[in-house]
Amino acid sequence: MTGIITNELTKSYGSVKALAGLSLEVRQGEIFGFLGPNGAGKTTTIRCLLDLIRPDGGTASVLGLDPQADPVAVRARVGYLPGELNLEDNLTGRKILRYFSALRRRAVDWDGANALAERLSLDLDRPVKNLSKGNKQKIGLIQALLHKPELLLLDEPTSGLDPIVQQEVLGLIREAKADGATVFFCSHVMSEVEAVAERVGIIRDGRLVEVADTAALIDRALHHVKVRFQAPVDEDVLGGIPGVSVRSRDDTRNLTLQVEGEMDSLIKALAAFPVTYLETTRPTLEDVFLAYYQADDVTAEDK
Amino acid sequence: MGPVFLHTLIRSRGSIIVWGLSLGALGLMVVPFFDVYIAQEEQMLQFIESYPPEFLAFFGGMAAINTPAGFLNSQLTTLPVVFGIFAVLAGSSLLARDEESGRLDLILAHPISRLALFGGRLAAFVTAMIAILTFCWLGFCIPLASSSMDVSWGQMALPFVSTFAVVLVFGTTALLLSMVLSSRRKAAAAAGAVMVAGFFLSGMANLNADLKPIARALPYEYFQGGYAISGLNVVWFGGLLAVSALFAVLAGWWFQQRDIRVGGEGSVARPAFLDRLRSAPR
Repeated sequence: MTGIITNELTKSYGSVKALAGLSLEVRQGEIFGFLGPNGAGKTTTIRCLLDLIRPDGGTASVLGLDPQADPVAVRARVGYLPGELNLEDNLTGRKILRYFSALRRRAVDWDGANALAERLSLDLDRPVKNLSKGNKQKIGLIQALLHKPELLLLDEPTSGLDPIVQQEVLGLIREAKADGATVFFCSHVMSEVEAVAERVGIIRDGRLVEVADTAALIDRALHHVKVRFQAPVDEDVLGGIPGVSVRSRDDTRNLTLQVEGEMDSLIKALAAFPVTYLETTRPTLEDVFLAYYQADDVTAEDK
Repeated sequence: MGPVFLHTLIRSRGSIIVWGLSLGALGLMVVPFFDVYIAQEEQMLQFIESYPPEFLAFFGGMAAINTPAGFLNSQLTTLPVVFGIFAVLAGSSLLARDEESGRLDLILAHPISRLALFGGRLAAFVTAMIAILTFCWLGFCIPLASSSMDVSWGQMALPFVSTFAVVLVFGTTALLLSMVLSSRRKAAAAAGAVMVAGFFLSGMANLNADLKPIARALPYEYFQGGYAISGLNVVWFGGLLAVSALFAVLAGWWFQQRDIRVGGEGSVARPAFLDRLRSAPR
């Protein structure tokens, strides 16, 4: 069984196309990072999966169930943290958890709730109106995790949290996966997606433009290599190597090269010259993400 | 549905207490005034006759004001409009407030159907209305023991039963409009306009018979007021309940068909099938 499958999912709001044929597969038990800037269609995708909105076309399946045909069964197995969390101001965290547990027709697992609250440094007995945005987010996280769902749909889960709690949340996500849960994780904070996601999907204008293993995607990206030579070098010799191009040069001895793919041929070519300094920079997921968006922007401008 | 009902009712407890006690206090003040009126009947009649006839006609005449039914009617004329404010605000907010704030997304991410959510909240809304009117009824009944007004507690309940039916129409109108219009404020404004228009048109129809057909199309015309103590008009009562039920069913159906709005979006909430019809090839 797969965690999530969408097939040619489309959704428009008036003239705005939020999803333009989204086909996606999230494997059961994996942490899947769903990347895209604001308005790319991330939240619309989640809302379709929970039957909060109905797609105009295409199909979706969550844990083998059709969310439109059987929304209650889907939601019983899912934990959801919305991107724009809004809780009832007059209630305490404890009362909110009690209400949400009642909606799940189960007693609150107070041991679990208290343990999570302690890990996240949250006081469950304070009214929501007296809590900061980050502390409200913690209540949202606890309600999503408390019933140990098979699928976690998290929309910007670390929004508003301090760096220490962010790390704790990423730890919770890893633990959920270790317990067998599938995690579908929307974010535009690349570093945290890179830290936890096994695979990532990049969405742009409602379409999936890339899906790959996170590590493979980064490895495939352009590496930058700074080289300082003992004596001036003809840059054409290095620039002519397949997959290698000269990105910038300070003078004939200092070059910055851009390498696509493996480094072997560059290293062999460099061996012919006396090198005084060599530095390679590992690309981040953010570089990969920006490359996709910038490349598409250039293409759009060319058109 | 049970947890939703209880949660919504608990959330409404402030409104129930404030509205219930306020309207109950009205009864505690109004009923003893009947004895004052009877004791000074001649002066009071002279005082009433000094009003312009159009004004008296607007309120349905004051000829029977020296009877319990006429007296109660004069005091309860505006009750559906006053209590209607609660119904319109609560009806328009029943789902749309949480929807506009984005809270509904989180609630509906739990294993509860839209129908159960709608049903639980509607049941809590109706219960809150009944609770407030019960406070009000008690406020009118308690002074009866020391009053010369010869009305039983059971008879006294009937004007509030009539009020309930009229005000329920206002509430369900607001609920239906909040499902269709782009914001709950617009829904409350539109339902409030229907309510106030009904009140004025019913009064004006006493002056101009041409307005009667229009007034008859609005719920206020079927409010019996104090005259209900002589017997509830079951056809009017049943008709008002049927209209409320129809509006509630339509609101529930619409809620099930359409997209849940994104918090703060305030867009027109069309059912998805309408979008599909629009995009179908011709």
